[in-house]
Amino acid sequence: MLQILNKQEKQEILTELEEQFGIKEIPGIIVKRGEERLFLFQGSFDEEKIKLLESAVPIERVGIYFAKIQEGRIRLSIDGVQLFKNQITKNIFEIDKEQAEKWMHGSELDIPTGKRGFIIIKHKNDFLGTGKASAEKVTNFIPKNRRLKFRS
Amino acid sequence: MTQRKIPEPKPLFIERMQALLNPADFKEYQEMLKIPPVRSIRCNTLRISPEKLKERLEKNGWKIKQPWHKYPKIMIVEGKYVAKKEIEDKEKDNILNNQFNNSENILDDDVNNKSIPSEARLILGGGVGKNIKNKNKLLIDLEPGELGRALEHQLGYYYVQELSSMLPVLALEPRPEETILDLCASPGSKTTQIASSMKNTGAIIANEVSLARIKILASNLERCGVTNTIITKKEGSALCLRLEKSNLSFDKILVDAPCSGEGTLRSSHKTYLMWNIKTIKALPRIQKSLLRSAIDILKIGGTIIYSTCTHAPEENEEVVSNILNEFGNSIKLEEIKLPIKPREGITNWEDKTYNSQVKKCARIYPQDNNTEGFFLAKIKKVRWKNI
Repeated sequence: MLQILNKQEKQEILTELEEQFGIKEIPGIIVKRGEERLFLFQGSFDEEKIKLLESAVPIERVGIYFAKIQEGRIRLSIDGVQLFKNQITKNIFEIDKEQAEKWMHGSELDIPTGKRGFIIIKHKNDFLGTGKASAEKVTNFIPKNRRLKFRS
Repeated sequence: MTQRKIPEPKPLFIERMQALLNPADFKEYQEMLKIPPVRSIRCNTLRISPEKLKERLEKNGWKIKQPWHKYPKIMIVEGKYVAKKEIEDKEKDNILNNQFNNSENILDDDVNNKSIPSEARLILGGGVGKNIKNKNKLLIDLEPGELGRALEHQLGYYYVQELSSMLPVLALEPRPEETILDLCASPGSKTTQIASSMKNTGAIIANEVSLARIKILASNLERCGVTNTIITKKEGSALCLRLEKSNLSFDKILVDAPCSGEGTLRSSHKTYLMWNIKTIKALPRIQKSLLRSAIDILKIGGTIIYSTCTHAPEENEEVVSNILNEFGNSIKLEEIKLPIKPREGITNWEDKTYNSQVKKCARIYPQDNNTEGFFLAKIKKVRWKNI
């Protein structure tokens, strides 16, 4: 059964996203799958209509995966970052072209960012997903199917 | 023209295509099959504007053409410019052989010569230009898979999609706020195209029966930032029946039906090997069932595009003709406006005569527009059946 977040649960996600990244608004319905994966649906079907659909046919996805609850915080997916790029104002870390290439190949970045926890990686106008910053490096979360491939 | 070795088509396939085309057309058709299709992409306007994408790709050295003024999001990648010095350096490293020293004299047969690295095979034929020397730059062909490996692709700025595959959605004309069903949705090329036209508003039900293919569909929807879509998993006809029982109906429906795939021969050589008359005779039952069920859940005034990537009349005009006869005056076929040259549907095949309305269908042959092959029918529901 679909787990559509209610107003309060959605507000909790929004509060966290605002604190972490400055996001002030999440238009649409949030659906939770399992304990941690969050999906965003921004179509015209309301909760009632989605439930009606669910009662009629097996639903595999509602909207797209945009974030994961991890260690009590929110980690935006690469697509989640792109969806909210116009709202993200905090914890952005800009990288250069060489670092961006390395990042998009799936490598962690061995650089101190001066930040801790989840950060948004950006190169020029491209938002390249979320990394986890520690003292000396940024852990990479780009999924395998979205990484740049080395030429064989 | 770039020539490739292609598998030998089965005799019955040749016979059937000769029955569809006049001798001159058939010759052109055969020649076109030897040429790979142009490399086309569709800008994902949910992520970036066509202007910005074009600018970026051109900065990367790609030569971009927008073939249809009305649809700037549709682009052909004609090749990429590389510094002549870069090629010469590779030459020094013995990557290139002597043939490339006479690059301007490369002939068609040389293009497939495997001793020439792909980077150095100059663009020839396939509608993608000619050997262009621009002072210190050469226009060369993209490497296989290069379109799918680019950063812009991984960020969802464009979708790699063959030109003829874009036509069903152009014919469907999705509008913001509509409710649309994509009955056979995976891998998602058309679903993402619909969502882009709808500006992520309204709602799309994207249905797919295979779980493996749903994963591909979901991945493409994510990459393209499609947030107005719900994916369902059900056999198409059964899905429609369930939706009807729940009083769910749609403004527009795309039935891009499973088919024998004759139109994909330029890009998929395995189709030559898989082609089988038994498949062509078996598929119409499924295709009719899908189309019939879709009409049942279409709103009055709503539109269905029925499309296949095959030339077989049994899977095309015959399906549409049967449905027209079955539904009588509750549906009608509409003219299809496309940015390319289609041919009208045929009304006679073997010993059968079809409903005369099928002339309004669009047959897309590879040799007419340098695309792959396709078939489209645009059906409008004008009233409830039996009223």
